[in-house]
Amino acid sequence: MRRVYLDNAATEKMLPCVKQAMLDAMDAELGNAAALHYEGWNAKKLIEEARVRVARLINAESEEIIFTSGGTEANNTVMEIFRGKRIVTSSVEHPSVLEAARARAGELVVLPVDRWGRVDTVDIEKEAKIADLVSVMLANNELGTIEPIKEYVKCCKKYNTYVHTDATQAVGKIKVDVKELGVDYLSFSAHKIGGPIGAGVLYVKNGVPYRNLMYGGKQEEGRRAGTSNILGIVGLGAAARWCWEEWSCRKWAEVTKLKNELKRRILAEVPYSSCNSPDEGCLPGILNMSFQAAEGESIQLYLDAEGICVSTGSACAAGDIKPSHVMMAARHDAEVAHSSIRLSLGLDTTKEDIERVMAVLPGIIRKLQGMSTIKVGA
Amino acid sequence: MDNTDREGWVYSEVVKEHFLNPLNFLMGDENKYEHDAEGIVGNPICGDQMKMFIRVENDKIVDVKWKTYGCASAIASTSALSELAKGKTLDEALKIGPEEIAEFLGGLPQHKFHCSVLGHEALAEAVKNYRKKS
Repeated sequence: MRRVYLDNAATEKMLPCVKQAMLDAMDAELGNAAALHYEGWNAKKLIEEARVRVARLINAESEEIIFTSGGTEANNTVMEIFRGKRIVTSSVEHPSVLEAARARAGELVVLPVDRWGRVDTVDIEKEAKIADLVSVMLANNELGTIEPIKEYVKCCKKYNTYVHTDATQAVGKIKVDVKELGVDYLSFSAHKIGGPIGAGVLYVKNGVPYRNLMYGGKQEEGRRAGTSNILGIVGLGAAARWCWEEWSCRKWAEVTKLKNELKRRILAEVPYSSCNSPDEGCLPGILNMSFQAAEGESIQLYLDAEGICVSTGSACAAGDIKPSHVMMAARHDAEVAHSSIRLSLGLDTTKEDIERVMAVLPGIIRKLQGMSTIKVGA
Repeated sequence: MDNTDREGWVYSEVVKEHFLNPLNFLMGDENKYEHDAEGIVGNPICGDQMKMFIRVENDKIVDVKWKTYGCASAIASTSALSELAKGKTLDEALKIGPEEIAEFLGGLPQHKFHCSVLGHEALAEAVKNYRKKS
């Protein structure tokens, strides 16, 4: 039987049009994009085509797009620009922001969040006065919570403080318009929008500070050295084109209905369950749930045995036994954090998939709760 | 529907079996199980907690039941321990250590070893409690 894949927030399946574009590029007569000959020019052309498509998707100018190896490199580059400076970020950021900032900031402020993972605008306002950079994610990968970045930007612009947002989870799912948001830097990766792993984007607004993370050749207008990852960039461009032409945000809005149905049924049918994702201001596909007295990894592996794929906390944390830093920051206790799973739906998730989950999840949770040392309802 | 026979688990086959079909666990209300002593170890805040319940006759463990809150390896290792302990004398049961449990299970991932193989401590406490009582 077909497996039910509910870990789309970790990585999405590659779109067929992305695969085709990459295959076509493999067959084309492509040289090194830095070379002046015919083959080099062909490669350069494909890269610039992709740049236009990516820029269009987030309403940026082409020259504001820098191709990277992924979201992690894009985030690290931003922190490199503000090396030694005062950086303000949130406690629920992806490690590639938190750890990169920790490694480079002169002074680092990590702001607390509310129960849903949102920073308080009052805190931003206070910190923006003395900060050089404020970096808050557009949407959280574990909870799905969308941060009101526009509000934060308003606070920061009063003091000419630069703003970066990690939009990895948001692009393609909800409208992301850099001009409307007003951010100075924005990062995302190809494999979360149906593109290949190994390609990403850093948007750098015209006129804002920049410093290289990679030095060497003059690729990306001298801003990111290293032979261009032509296949990855072509795939990324194809994914960006698909998101634009197919109105992906509208398709994702449909996923919200399925997710809400799943949430409603879990809360109704699974004893002692609770929802960690907000009702409003949440990404369409992400649903984070806790089950009292049942531990996340066990739930995940019992579901896996039934052909259903979900994640505990963040997939990156597999092999890490500490409770999720996002769940802990959102003021949950460790027990609730250990007892949570993330179900992330995709564009191909069906009603039948939801039925498959609901056919086994209540039994799994009852079994785990029954054998648990923790008494439910206590 | 069933995918348990496919490859790609981080755990061994024996762990998988003891996790999916754990033996001797105590379902529901523990007061309904008549036992002579119990012991508990771990903390839900750390993500793992085990409780062992023993029935003793003539210094021998004649029945073991357990409860566990924790990951797959915590459930599997407590299940394995309950099999290892059954029929043993109290002194023999005290000698069961984490290495023996892990070996019985065909190995465990390194990072899981210290936090999830704790059941023997709960068993030792149960034995201690039993001896205190009698």
